[in-house]
Amino acid sequence: MPSLFFCILLLGLGVTESQASGLAPPQQVRLDADKETQTLSVTWEDGHASTFDVEILRTELMEMVLNETVGVTEDQSTGKHQWNWTSPVPLECTSLSVKVRSRDGQDVSEWSSQQILPGLDLPDNTDSQMYPEGKTVPVGSNMTFCCIVEEGQQFGSLWYKDTLVKENMLSRRTYATTMTNQGPSNPSGTNVVCSNEKKMIIAGAVVFVGYPPLPSDLVCETHDLISVDCQWSKGRDTYLFGMTRQTYYTLNGRNCPKARNSNMRCGLEQWDGNWTLVARNLLGEFRLTDAAELGHRVRPVAPVNLTTPEVYSWNASVGWLWKDKGFERLSLICQVQRTSHLNSSTQTYTGYGLNTVVLKDLQPDEKYSVKVRCGSQKNFWKWGEWSLPLSFQTKMDRPVAPDIWLWMDSDNLGRVLWKPLTKSESHGQISGYEVILWSPEENSQQTLTLPRSVYSLPINVTDRGSKVTVTARNPAGVSLPANIVIPRYLPGKNGGKRVVIPRHLPDAEDTAISKVAFNGSGFPLSWVAHANASCGYVVDWYNTSCTQDCNVEWIKVAADNTNTMVQSGNFLAGVRYKFSLYACSSESTVLLERWHGYMQELVPSRTVPRLSPNQEGADVQLTWDQIPLEHQRGFILGYTVYLTNASHLTLLANITDPQLTNHTVRNLVLGSYKFTVKAYTAAGEDGGATVSISLEPYTYWLIMEILVALGTMTCLLIVITIACYRKRKWVKKAFYPEIPEPKLPGDWGITQGTLDVKPSPHSMVHIVEDSVWDSSKEALVTVPEEDEEGTGDEAADTDEPASLRYYNQVVEEGSSSQRRPHASDSSASSTGSMDSGHTDVTYTGIQTSACSLAPMAHFQPQPDASQCVGGGGYRPQMQSASCPEEPQTGPEEHLQPPVGSFGGYQPQCSWKQDSPEADGDGLDQTCLGSPTSVTSSQFLLPYDTSEEGKEYPSSASTWFHNLLTGKP
Amino acid sequence: MSGTRTRRGTVSEQTRTARAAAVAEQLHHECTLLLELYRKKETFAEELTSGGDRLVTVPPLSSQLSPNDMLWRLYSALQQCRNLLEHAIGREEGVGNDRNRTEYESQKKTVRDRLGHLLESTRLLLADGAGTAAFTPDPNNTEIDGPVNGSPFALKLWIYRIFNELEHWTLAASKTLKALHPDGAAPKERRTRGRARGRRTRR
Repeated sequence: MPSLFFCILLLGLGVTESQASGLAPPQQVRLDADKETQTLSVTWEDGHASTFDVEILRTELMEMVLNETVGVTEDQSTGKHQWNWTSPVPLECTSLSVKVRSRDGQDVSEWSSQQILPGLDLPDNTDSQMYPEGKTVPVGSNMTFCCIVEEGQQFGSLWYKDTLVKENMLSRRTYATTMTNQGPSNPSGTNVVCSNEKKMIIAGAVVFVGYPPLPSDLVCETHDLISVDCQWSKGRDTYLFGMTRQTYYTLNGRNCPKARNSNMRCGLEQWDGNWTLVARNLLGEFRLTDAAELGHRVRPVAPVNLTTPEVYSWNASVGWLWKDKGFERLSLICQVQRTSHLNSSTQTYTGYGLNTVVLKDLQPDEKYSVKVRCGSQKNFWKWGEWSLPLSFQTKMDRPVAPDIWLWMDSDNLGRVLWKPLTKSESHGQISGYEVILWSPEENSQQTLTLPRSVYSLPINVTDRGSKVTVTARNPAGVSLPANIVIPRYLPGKNGGKRVVIPRHLPDAEDTAISKVAFNGSGFPLSWVAHANASCGYVVDWYNTSCTQDCNVEWIKVAADNTNTMVQSGNFLAGVRYKFSLYACSSESTVLLERWHGYMQELVPSRTVPRLSPNQEGADVQLTWDQIPLEHQRGFILGYTVYLTNASHLTLLANITDPQLTNHTVRNLVLGSYKFTVKAYTAAGEDGGATVSISLEPYTYWLIMEILVALGTMTCLLIVITIACYRKRKWVKKAFYPEIPEPKLPGDWGITQGTLDVKPSPHSMVHIVEDSVWDSSKEALVTVPEEDEEGTGDEAADTDEPASLRYYNQVVEEGSSSQRRPHASDSSASSTGSMDSGHTDVTYTGIQTSACSLAPMAHFQPQPDASQCVGGGGYRPQMQSASCPEEPQTGPEEHLQPPVGSFGGYQPQCSWKQDSPEADGDGLDQTCLGSPTSVTSSQFLLPYDTSEEGKEYPSSASTWFHNLLTGKP
Repeated sequence: MSGTRTRRGTVSEQTRTARAAAVAEQLHHECTLLLELYRKKETFAEELTSGGDRLVTVPPLSSQLSPNDMLWRLYSALQQCRNLLEHAIGREEGVGNDRNRTEYESQKKTVRDRLGHLLESTRLLLADGAGTAAFTPDPNNTEIDGPVNGSPFALKLWIYRIFNELEHWTLAASKTLKALHPDGAAPKERRTRGRARGRRTRR
């Protein structure tokens, strides 16, 4: 209903316009569609105008596709107007509505009745479809594809290859997409796929995008002087494959079915002179032409049936046939290629109807393969095909003379050497050799026949000037003789490998040898021309380290040459070769020069032998031997000495003189060292020999130092002794002054005399700690042993030590009870002794002088002065006389016993009071040098200095006293 | 016949089943690869499926079926697959085969040969051995012979569907043969073979 209403509305409008213009509308509008080309043809009648308005809409959605004014003339024969329109969208995609009206300037007629081109999206076509399908288009084309979705399904997406593309809705079921500038397809074409909402492929199309053919280089020729064979190159790839899309070729209108892939050729049975090649595919065609006379395009077929009518040692003839008789009457140029195991060469021959050639300069007993190809000599175009090869073998000939050399192993023993004949020299299988030794002095000859595998003959050369002749034999005959004269040999000191020592170079073997370097292809040698080299020069070489049956090689150089390149397949890397140059004359062979060299230098194959260290004081001398020649593998350029520390090598020296085989490492400190010595060549260093050494102190120096020290000490002691002896009086005064007589107060009824005192063995002085003092201080106390408590009876002691002899002096009785706390035990002991008439005084370990005791008094609780006064008992090492004289202002006064009350012993320092030298300057001065009692054996000198009293000190003190006093 | 089989014969049949299962598994792997090669050759997007009705028509493989019936249905499906593959190979050359894609061609040949091997192995497992009777495809299914309108895309899609069918049925074959092989379950069910065969459509 709505569309009907819409049509009525349009008709109404048309009527209104036509009424205004008076032009008749087109009648019988008809639509014809060419769906392959997407062309719509519109025809109508009764339009007297030449200009028309055409309007095209998509019927279903009424979308304007085209609204254009076109000029269309009437076809006079049919009286119809026809206008063609190419739709960018395939005509199957959806229905199109077309209407036309006439136009004359601004006047227009009514619109014609609307014609509809039905699409394939109408409801009666329920299947899914896609258009255009299977189209072939040029590369770069733009194309619109449409997908008609199956009734009842939902559109999903459109894909070009595997790429999702954007779609455009054309109708209820139709969706389209436009691809621009399309690239070449793969062989099976480019797929455009339409899927539903479930991503299921519902339709698709294939488009083949490619190029039209573009062949080139058409060339036609004849192989048989009758037919024609044309070839061309394919040119650009069309990207189109398959029976319908591939390129087809025709030559002069005839199909070329064999022109496929890369084989672009086509033939005709007769020579036309002009050829046209047409290449055609769905996208277009291309034409190529060629023209030529037959004689200018001759490319003969290959000759057939090659034969060798005649074969000799040095030449042969080869013949062939032509398959086509025409070539027998054609002037030809032919190439014959012959190949042997030595080389391959091509020779050219010409001739009218050529079918036979003679091959020259062949080698006897050699297998050859020949093949032939020909061309037209006149107006040569191209060489024809090669014939099939023909093989033949030349006949044998007698061999060439062997190349011989004489090699002296010693003065009289030598070897005649000859080289094996090569294939090109033997001219056939060698059957053996014949050696003739000529002795002119004995006028005799000795003939030896040797098998073909022997290439040397030992000889004992006794006849100087004799001649050796060697010949080779094969089935074809005997070679020319090769002669060599045994030279006039100089008896020399060198028994080694040499032929002769030249008179002017007696030590040439050792002195005139120089280095030669391998240059990649051989050893280049050059020399100064020698006048006597009448028959040229000979260079021989061998492995220098070889000692027996060495392989000797040689080359012969023409007399006018003064250089050569020594080449051999036997050269080995790391092997030193010695080259000797000889001048050859009819009389002798003279050694001219020698070289040695390596084809390639390598690092030495072993380390330096016999590496040993030797300590020389703080130095270490390393010595080693030369590496044997066979292990050098290169010229030894020097040695490097390393100090090895773990795996780290520190370079100590680089010895660039290869003859120097020692090195001294200096100024090493004591320790272990490891040294590595490496020899190096141009190729590098060897692995290195390592040696260790532990540096020991230098014993002699140590002993010397000890002796010097002892001597010095001895001298010093002697000097001191002498000095002391000479200054003994001073020394005595200083260290051992005379002790004055004691001055006894009052009248002593007791006769002075010695008192034998037997010291108690049990009374000891111990060092104890006084809790009152600083704990770090020590005090001397006498600790009587427990046993002593109840043993006041000395008679009980039977094993007493020897009695000490003291000067018996009066000690007040009461003093025994007035002991100072620190000496209580000893004092008690002493007192006990006094009481019993024995005195066991054991001041063991006491080394306290009176002066040292005095400061101790500061820290000791002292008894009152009365005690000090009353203390007239035994007071070892206490100052007595001097103390009262000191200005005592402190508590120290209690320590000083009153002079008047002191009547006991006056040990050591007390004597100074009365000595003439004692000036009473002070305690320190007085005490300095005072004899010190360490034990009870210390000097306890009485005041009385009578002879009797001097007899009792110990022997040591007596000796020293005598020394100081100068007594014997 | 199965009742007279010796233990040795049963073991031999199990071995054959195992071999057939191995062939099916290998073939499934090769069909998967062939499908992938074709998809890449034709640049079909990975997320798209070929769609359409099944080209191979056999009754579904149910677990209630006897092993022999399952084998018969499997054999029929594989035979249809082979026919379709032969059709595809013959038709594909007409759309411009890519001669350079030797891998695809080689794989296609491998699948064809292996499928023949699997068919023979499956046939030997069948109780009557001959394998002359098989399910025939639905005569109303016109898609089996391929597109007739000359549309290159329709041909490509048809081949794509064939390869999908191959992948599907070789997987089914692999699973079914594996299920038949172990535990000695097959001989027991084989006794129901006669009844099950009655439902078969003989060619």
